[in-house]
Amino acid sequence: MTDWIALAKARGLDIPKETLQPLTGLEQAFEPLKAKLPFSLEPAITLSESSVIASSK
Amino acid sequence: MTITEAARQLRARTISSTELTRQALKAIQAGQPKFNAFITITEDLALTQAKQADFELARGIDRGPLHGIPYALKDVFCTKGIRTTVGSKIFSDYIPDYDSAVYEKLTAAGAVLMGKAGMQEFAYGITCNNPHFGAIRNPHDPDRIPGGSSGGSGVAVASEMVFFAMGSDTGGSIRIPAAFCGCFGLKPTSGRISRYGVMPLDFSLDHMGPLTRSAEDAGLVLNALAGYDDRDDTSSHQPLEPASSRLTSLTNLRIGIPENFYNVRIASEVANAYTAALATAERAGARLTVIDVPDPAEINAISRVILLSEASALLEPYLHRRGDFGADVLALLDQGRLIAATDYVNAQRLRRLYQRDWARLWDKVDCIFTPTAPIAAPRIGELQIEVAGQMEDVRLASTRLVRAINVLGLPAVSVPLPATGLPVALQIIGKPFDESRILALGDAVISSPDA
Repeated sequence: MTDWIALAKARGLDIPKETLQPLTGLEQAFEPLKAKLPFSLEPAITLSESSVIASSK
Repeated sequence: MTITEAARQLRARTISSTELTRQALKAIQAGQPKFNAFITITEDLALTQAKQADFELARGIDRGPLHGIPYALKDVFCTKGIRTTVGSKIFSDYIPDYDSAVYEKLTAAGAVLMGKAGMQEFAYGITCNNPHFGAIRNPHDPDRIPGGSSGGSGVAVASEMVFFAMGSDTGGSIRIPAAFCGCFGLKPTSGRISRYGVMPLDFSLDHMGPLTRSAEDAGLVLNALAGYDDRDDTSSHQPLEPASSRLTSLTNLRIGIPENFYNVRIASEVANAYTAALATAERAGARLTVIDVPDPAEINAISRVILLSEASALLEPYLHRRGDFGADVLALLDQGRLIAATDYVNAQRLRRLYQRDWARLWDKVDCIFTPTAPIAAPRIGELQIEVAGQMEDVRLASTRLVRAINVLGLPAVSVPLPATGLPVALQIIGKPFDESRILALGDAVISSPDA
């Protein structure tokens, strides 16, 4: 898992340790989802009318 | 009094818009010291607009059901010549030189602007404990939060300062204050109401919608605001079925009842009111269908990756002014600066996957019932709250049941339920662009003689 404190330091950001704590839980929830992605699936960058309707068909 | 009732009285000449506006001003002035619902009160403008409405109505110029009706805008909607702070110190003196599409349309509809409602700083959070403009307080218990980020809008409607108020909703910010304050809150389908001229929090999750005293009123406001706007890239051409039409019957309507996620860790007062609402719908002839929904906990994680990334990108130009942000918002903005670009892109790809998965549900059901929030309004300053025996972060608990719906782009309405203590609410989620049905259903559930 990511060392958020080290990452912040490496990017030159002075962010308190407790601020970064929620990112660990989020990463644990988000990482496994990536395995579900079909290779060619494109992002839904905007929820335009066409994307909402198309996704419901 | 609802918009419908006020509109009838205006046309019967039993009351004038000026009288309604003076009553609203009196309620705002009485409530402001207690609840802090407004950042800016536009008294002179309101009286001018009301006078104009009376002038027009007396001459047979009728702009529709919102003509002469007092309302509030969350302080995120740009209003030409009227400061628009976004609840922030950074924009505390910002006076736009243009109007948002929502304000344009409401002005054209003859509605009377009473002021700009208070909110969470940058609409980024749900407590409305605003460090720059003061805490907004719940009208049912001033020691409790109103919910947010559209907290001032919820308070202004629930305490009868205005007939309706506009809010914005990125992860529940209309539905949560509606639930905690005890009014209706509609988050329409993505693209239904133009975002033009709204100070954004998140480019792909923001939605605009009304908080009202009835489902019918929410429909009236939606009727006035829906429609294509070429200034908003996500704006929809989809026609709106008039949303004020009521369901004549719930018979055979298929209501989906999720057996996963939405019934886990719910406070007993919420669970009891929710169960009673289901029983009411069933007695009125609806068919309750137990379903499994594609995991909203996973969609919530997707939502957080998208929101952290987009909000930090948006506010990056101001992040050197660290002392001008509240601590809670600054923490979220700092977190967002560390999300990898690959994770953001994959979150948007996963979003499409879950949209497709959820779309399959509409073969089985016409709508989905869930609680809006698993808890009633927490106390101001409370960071953790016990929910069904477990401690949970107040912000995550409050958004837990609503956040995913923004990722999916679906319409959802929060309906206040009968309760003995603090307000609790039902969330009705609909198919894309099916606002009319969920509003009519919300009306039917609480108007039923069994309710």
